[in-house]
Amino acid sequence: MRTDFEKVVVIGYGKATGEILKYTDVRRTDYGYELEFIEHEPHALGVTRQICEERGIPFASMPDKRALGAYLAEIQEKTLIVSASNNFLFPAALVERENITIINFHNALLPEYPGRNAPSWVIYRGEERTGITWHYVTAGVDEGGIIIQKSCEIGPDMKAYELTEALMDLACEGFYECFDSVLQKNAAARPQRFSPDRRMYRSFEIPGDGFLDLSEPEEKVYRLLRSVDYGKSGIFPPLQMEIGGVRAEVLRYRKIVPEKRQEGAGLLYLPLPDGDLLKIKYRPL
Amino acid sequence: MEEKVLEILEEYCEEALSYAGDNMMEEGVIDSFTVINVVSELEDAFDIEIDAKYVVAENFRNKEAIIELVARLVEE
Repeated sequence: MRTDFEKVVVIGYGKATGEILKYTDVRRTDYGYELEFIEHEPHALGVTRQICEERGIPFASMPDKRALGAYLAEIQEKTLIVSASNNFLFPAALVERENITIINFHNALLPEYPGRNAPSWVIYRGEERTGITWHYVTAGVDEGGIIIQKSCEIGPDMKAYELTEALMDLACEGFYECFDSVLQKNAAARPQRFSPDRRMYRSFEIPGDGFLDLSEPEEKVYRLLRSVDYGKSGIFPPLQMEIGGVRAEVLRYRKIVPEKRQEGAGLLYLPLPDGDLLKIKYRPL
Repeated sequence: MEEKVLEILEEYCEEALSYAGDNMMEEGVIDSFTVINVVSELEDAFDIEIDAKYVVAENFRNKEAIIELVARLVEE
């Protein structure tokens, strides 16, 4: 198999990145490109460093944006950069370089939900479906031609981290399907059509502005809780709410059957439309 | 306490129960998403807060490490 790319650089963190790194390593034998991995954002539970060590893949940790930009700008070989779960914005000067091609995995069906934390926003807005997009990177954020998309349902109880995991699996599937055509430069990229009200989601934006309004319908309260739930990753600060005239912070929540209700300090129960209860554990601030 | 921890592990990551090594994350026995589920269940079951600083590979290297972590947090 032939490709003009002499080098493949994988940038990202998390589960999908690890799987993509392994796949690109295996495919080296077909194409003969050099492979390297760059970690821009370390992950407490990440295993990409170990994957690199086991397989002899050069590993570099570059948390500094300028250093990473400068490093990539130095690349002289024809290079494919695979951006998988990566929040580094590639500088326009790099994107426009002739020897550089960049593809990115976005965790939504572009052109909808561009920007950050898309799984949160689709849950918060009550979407029934979402998906992933592999697209070429251009100077505009999440604006490049679409290479492949895959979609999935959003379950009624799905939390942001569960949806993220499902999307990462889809991202891997999509990557395996399009990698050869990208390497062989015959991937048919479909231009995105932007609606006039297209909205870019920024990293500082929080669903519901981070406030759990208990006067809202319970189903909406539940959606907001699920939309910001990434476990302990700290992507969003804990939600706040007001209860009995006191500001409080949400510690955790759970959907339970009414028989499991137990009274206690800092516990709030809300009835859900399906007959279950939403148990919210909170701490006054 | 130990029994409850093992029960939770069995629900989310049965392989962890028979794992005898000391790095479940690296060896692919448990992944970061399963850890989120396990942490959430442990917090609820023991009414504890597992701060992000404890959610690291070292504390999830095997079932004994998880039991040790929970025991420490329950005592606090």
